[in-house]
Amino acid sequence: MDDLLADFVAETREMLEASGGEIVAWEADPSDRARLDTIFRFVHTVKGNCGFFDFPRLEKLSHAAEDALSECRAGRREADSALVSAVLAIIDRISEMTDAIEAGEEFPEGGDDKLIAALQGSDDIVVASAVMSEAEPANDQHVGEADGDAGSDNESSAPKPARAQAVQRSIRLPVDLLDEVMKGVSDMVLARNDLSRRLREAGEQPTIDGPFDRLSTILADVRAAITRMRMQRLEHLFSSLPRLVRDLSNELGKQVMVDFEGGEVELDREMIEMVRDPLTHIIRNAIDHGIEGPGERLKNGKREIGLLRFAARQAGNQISLVVSDDGRGIDTGRLADKAVAAGLYSQSEVDRMSDRRKHLLIFEPGLSTANEVSSVSGRGVGMDVVRANIERVGGSIDVVSKPGEGASFHLKLPLTLSIIAALTVGAGSQRYAIPRSYVEEIVFGSSSNVEFATAGDRRLVTFRDKRVPCLALGDILGIDEIDDAEWDSKTLVLIRLASDDVFALAVDRVFDHEDVVVKPIAPAVMETRLYAGTTLLDDGRPMMLLDLPSIATNRLHMGEGRSTEVVEEEVVETGRKAVPIMLFAGLDDRKRAVRLDMVRRIDTVSREAIDIEGQRAQAVIDGSVFTLLGLEFGELPEDRCRLLRLTDGESEVVYAVNEVLDAADMDGEIIPSQYDPLIEGVTLIGDSLVPVLDGHALFARQRVQRRTDEVLSCRIPGDSDWARTILEPLVEAAGYRIAADDGEDADVEIQLAEIAQPEQSASARSVIRLTQDPDTAGADGGTIYRYDRDGLLAALKQARLGRTA
Amino acid sequence: MTDLLLQCLVAGRHAAIPASDVQSVIEIEEITPIPGTPDFILGLTALRSQALTVIDCSLALGLAKTVAEDDQRAAVVEVEGHLYALLVDAAYDVGEALSQPVAVPGGFGAGWQRAARGMVETESGPTLLIDTSSLIAGPMAEAA
Repeated sequence: MDDLLADFVAETREMLEASGGEIVAWEADPSDRARLDTIFRFVHTVKGNCGFFDFPRLEKLSHAAEDALSECRAGRREADSALVSAVLAIIDRISEMTDAIEAGEEFPEGGDDKLIAALQGSDDIVVASAVMSEAEPANDQHVGEADGDAGSDNESSAPKPARAQAVQRSIRLPVDLLDEVMKGVSDMVLARNDLSRRLREAGEQPTIDGPFDRLSTILADVRAAITRMRMQRLEHLFSSLPRLVRDLSNELGKQVMVDFEGGEVELDREMIEMVRDPLTHIIRNAIDHGIEGPGERLKNGKREIGLLRFAARQAGNQISLVVSDDGRGIDTGRLADKAVAAGLYSQSEVDRMSDRRKHLLIFEPGLSTANEVSSVSGRGVGMDVVRANIERVGGSIDVVSKPGEGASFHLKLPLTLSIIAALTVGAGSQRYAIPRSYVEEIVFGSSSNVEFATAGDRRLVTFRDKRVPCLALGDILGIDEIDDAEWDSKTLVLIRLASDDVFALAVDRVFDHEDVVVKPIAPAVMETRLYAGTTLLDDGRPMMLLDLPSIATNRLHMGEGRSTEVVEEEVVETGRKAVPIMLFAGLDDRKRAVRLDMVRRIDTVSREAIDIEGQRAQAVIDGSVFTLLGLEFGELPEDRCRLLRLTDGESEVVYAVNEVLDAADMDGEIIPSQYDPLIEGVTLIGDSLVPVLDGHALFARQRVQRRTDEVLSCRIPGDSDWARTILEPLVEAAGYRIAADDGEDADVEIQLAEIAQPEQSASARSVIRLTQDPDTAGADGGTIYRYDRDGLLAALKQARLGRTA
Repeated sequence: MTDLLLQCLVAGRHAAIPASDVQSVIEIEEITPIPGTPDFILGLTALRSQALTVIDCSLALGLAKTVAEDDQRAAVVEVEGHLYALLVDAAYDVGEALSQPVAVPGGFGAGWQRAARGMVETESGPTLLIDTSSLIAGPMAEAA
């Protein structure tokens, strides 16, 4: 039998067992709301799973039961004993069908409609056990005996013993037991290590060494097996999703693409089971409510095909799982109306709610934004069940939604025990572990393509055209302060968070990759918001695991889970596409290349226009003075010199060449060069290796005056660190000049919604307002969320077009 | 009344920890500090394959740290699923409590008052009974 099917059977049976008591209790008191909810969740879950496995009969039954129960939940119907009986009959039938599924048998046809009809029933209909009705003549007014014990008599046609259970190949164990075994094995490994050290000290003893080696090998195998017992890659869960998404989207006439990240994250099997249902519900919701139909999408300027993205990350004893869609977002207005209609809140309460608070209404029981009840979702169940399930395992769920852009659900799940791949780094005299899933790259601070800069008190590092904030581990932990000069000696670990924010972590040393068993830490240590857990090194010493998302949140206000996109992100992406370059021969006649975007024009000047004195080399073109570069490769020609005028958008330099050769597309990778600081790296053009000039280094080394003509100016808030460190580079990269604080007329002014605006002494032609809160963005007259890069660039572009028009 | 107590010396005073709370008494050899934590959390130490959070009892009471002797003894206790090693000046025998913990008029003095359940009589005289979960909360908990 299929693994997933086995899971389904096991789960259904487990829920049946668990709800057995509830059912009896409910029967005793049909008005008990809590029991009703429990049973409701059961049939709802079964319904969900059935849709997934294509068991139409089971689905129909559970759907019918769910319908009836939801009527009760909504208070439109009283739960009377007839209803209880009918629901119980259906649950019995579900149980029998599950048995049949496990045995791989066909369940006898018929009888289902009767059970379903009983749910609608008037008071005088009482239904006996499930299987009975099939053997009975069509007699709707049949009054059966007491529930439950009637079935067996009529079953002779399909005797139960014939359905021999397949030989059990799996057993279910309490997780505690596995924990205990795991702990024992870990202790054993440490004892082995101790013994091994003593044996080494005692010198070679062939009679002992042989068996000892064997013991070590066995122990390693056992350890691996025990570990596997508990862990499962998230892929296992992910692999079932594309099918689900496909079926759902077909059913709803939508087109949806799925994207996964982090399938290699391992988590407790138990936990995987816990997230399976919530995830299914979230997907249903996203496809049903979130993602629009193809027509509507095209009308809104989106791709016809919707995107559903799953990203998982592990950090210490937490897994964060983000499910985001690019649909229409949560309809807060309708959600609020429903909440009022359902009597959960009064209109005035709802009016006072922030958008964010309104989003959270989605998790309230008994709410749904769907007007029509579909078989997929939209009975107002789902999200409350999801939250209940996730909170039961100690996790949390949050939602972020932007109207028209989509919603994302952020699940945080705890890990009681987990093994993660970690990078061990040193700071001060100690080692710390970083979850390897966050590590994007490791570079040495002394490397020539790494440059440090400061903006305010924030240290930035530029690496491969990316400028990212930089934090020193020693500084974060408060164990040492770093002088400016020391940065070169650090190793930089580039960290990419689940939210795609990137920052650099400077450490003293990078030691090793290893798999570590992470254990939870005491609450008082957790409070530091620096550590996510602890682990033991091979020699038995403890080591702390760093909580990078919290560190980033605290130090850089990067939010894991926020749909932020850091400035640098796009630069990387474009770097991977084909980049047009210009090939030229330098003064030494060697072939080099420069990015075509940087070349403003090619000038030919006479030798007299060039003035070289010591380190200073300048050229005069059309009455302007430019810094001259490229001289280190050879002598300038005697009469006419060919110069490339390079620009970074604001300032210009000229680069002396012998000859301009060709333009080409650079589609391969640039292999970074360690040795020449002015070279970004070498790349393959045709069959030859060509060095590519590092535009950044060229401009960084020159103190060139700004070309003030034709450049639009932009005023940004002078008193905000964020504006200086994050916003300014982006604005400059967009081709704007940062205007002087006061007294200068700026073309564009960027304001922060959170900062009160002083009376401006100088005017700006257009104003862009940014907000810290993604939820209020777009709400009042084009406020843009501060990390909405596309939105901001579009607004800047708009301002530019407005001027040139 | 046969409550057993682990008698120890904390900040130079006689104190007792309910023996039922104590899993074992260990000698601490090496402590891995955890930067960024309050003073009274000395760091982590490993007991077999488990990491214990080491708490300096004197500092946790808000008292001055006593000079560490060579033999650093700690009582291992479990609070809310986490293991702690409570570092004491000295650990003596396990003895019997001869009375219920009682409050003393005027209290036990700053620091002690918060983490003490009361005074108990033992064979070696009156002793303060320490409440482990208040102790590990540290001196800050009161302010918060």
